[in-house]
Amino acid sequence: MNFDFNLILSSLPQIAAGLGITLKLMAYSTAIGLVLAVLILLMRISGRWYLTWPAMGYIYFLRGTPILVQIFIIYHGLPQLDFVRESVLWPVLREPFGCCVVALSLNSSAYISEILRGGVLGVDKGVNEAARALGLSAPQRFIYIVTPIAVRLALPAYSNEFISMMKATALASTVTLLDITGVARTIVSNTFAPFEIFIAAALIYLAMAWVFQVGFGKLEDYLGKYTKRGASA
Amino acid sequence: MAALSGWWDDFFFGTVMVLKVFAASLVLAVIFGLLGASAKLSRNRAAQVLAKAYTVVFRGTPELVVLLLFYFGTAVVLTRIAQIYDPQIKFVDVPPFWAGAIAIGLIVGAYMTETFRGAFMGVAHGQVEAAHALGLTKGQTFFYVRMPQMWRLALPNFGNHMLSIMKDTALISIVGLEEIVFVGQMATAVTHKPFLMFMTVALIYLAITTVITILTWWLERYANSHLERVR
Repeated sequence: MNFDFNLILSSLPQIAAGLGITLKLMAYSTAIGLVLAVLILLMRISGRWYLTWPAMGYIYFLRGTPILVQIFIIYHGLPQLDFVRESVLWPVLREPFGCCVVALSLNSSAYISEILRGGVLGVDKGVNEAARALGLSAPQRFIYIVTPIAVRLALPAYSNEFISMMKATALASTVTLLDITGVARTIVSNTFAPFEIFIAAALIYLAMAWVFQVGFGKLEDYLGKYTKRGASA
Repeated sequence: MAALSGWWDDFFFGTVMVLKVFAASLVLAVIFGLLGASAKLSRNRAAQVLAKAYTVVFRGTPELVVLLLFYFGTAVVLTRIAQIYDPQIKFVDVPPFWAGAIAIGLIVGAYMTETFRGAFMGVAHGQVEAAHALGLTKGQTFFYVRMPQMWRLALPNFGNHMLSIMKDTALISIVGLEEIVFVGQMATAVTHKPFLMFMTVALIYLAITTVITILTWWLERYANSHLERVR
């Protein structure tokens, strides 16, 4: 068994060809997941049972089942149902890429809405009451008072969820997509050098995780700059 | 539902397999977590760096990549070794069960390292000093003073890690372990009812994760019972 360092280096550019799909999956899923998460959050904290219960069921199901099974239900399972094949969403759900985006968005929206809820619940009651005393309406209070504070409180947990989602994109390779992991698996089946190739893939993921971590750290510093003590005083 | 009738026993044995691999992964994750935490807390510089590298690598790499690396990597090595003795052998692998359990144990162990470290540091320093003043040895301090308080602090995160392990077991079907996702794929190939089959798989997982959630909640209540106010 000889470990070939050069193979890691020479395979890096090939594997990086899958980077585009991985990043595209992440971009779509993050955007759609965030929009869905806010909708679910609003339902969850609305205080009306006919909105709260469906939201809780949605979160319970998506957080209690493996993401791989969710991808399989959407990719393999949904085409079994006739009304799905006749719906407007069929062009999206026909493609493995669309299926992965839908699965990742749904999955991450459940986690993110709980993270955002933690942020909203963490906002000091007094702030809300003060806004109310100043005569702000409920939507105004939510948009101008609660949201900016909640976002800052939720950001550290959100950055963890973001990296979890990056790792979850690797599962796209199970439904024939050629993302980083998918390309790596293809090369391994040709060269049968799993150590070198998968280590190269892992290095790319690690570099991505590092970039996102540093980025979110910077964002946290920026959003929390006025909470720092002793900077100017 | 009629399509499910012939598959109940397969799903049952698949569930047993999931629970077995869950138990093995959990034990391994706790071992790796304790090792990692003690390395991070030790004064040894090399151990600290090693533990840091361990947590960074396994928390930043997708579970699937670690699993594939582990399974196919060991298979290549074992096959080469086996071919030295018998050139006729084509393929030798670590059983998917253990490749999966070790891979998941390593990944979740990296998360547990942080949990255990946080819980260890969460015990007030005065308590440790008091134990020292009373003449307790280091081992006694750990088991009688730290441990009873540590597990209470670690419990909420520990519950989440158990849920991650449970959900990660689904990945092992990719390297051929005959657990419920694998059964779902087999059943789909025969009955052509993928939605029904994978929904069944999802509901089985949902049932197991629900039990884990309730168990953690119950344990947390027990652990914090002395902190509850008298009503």
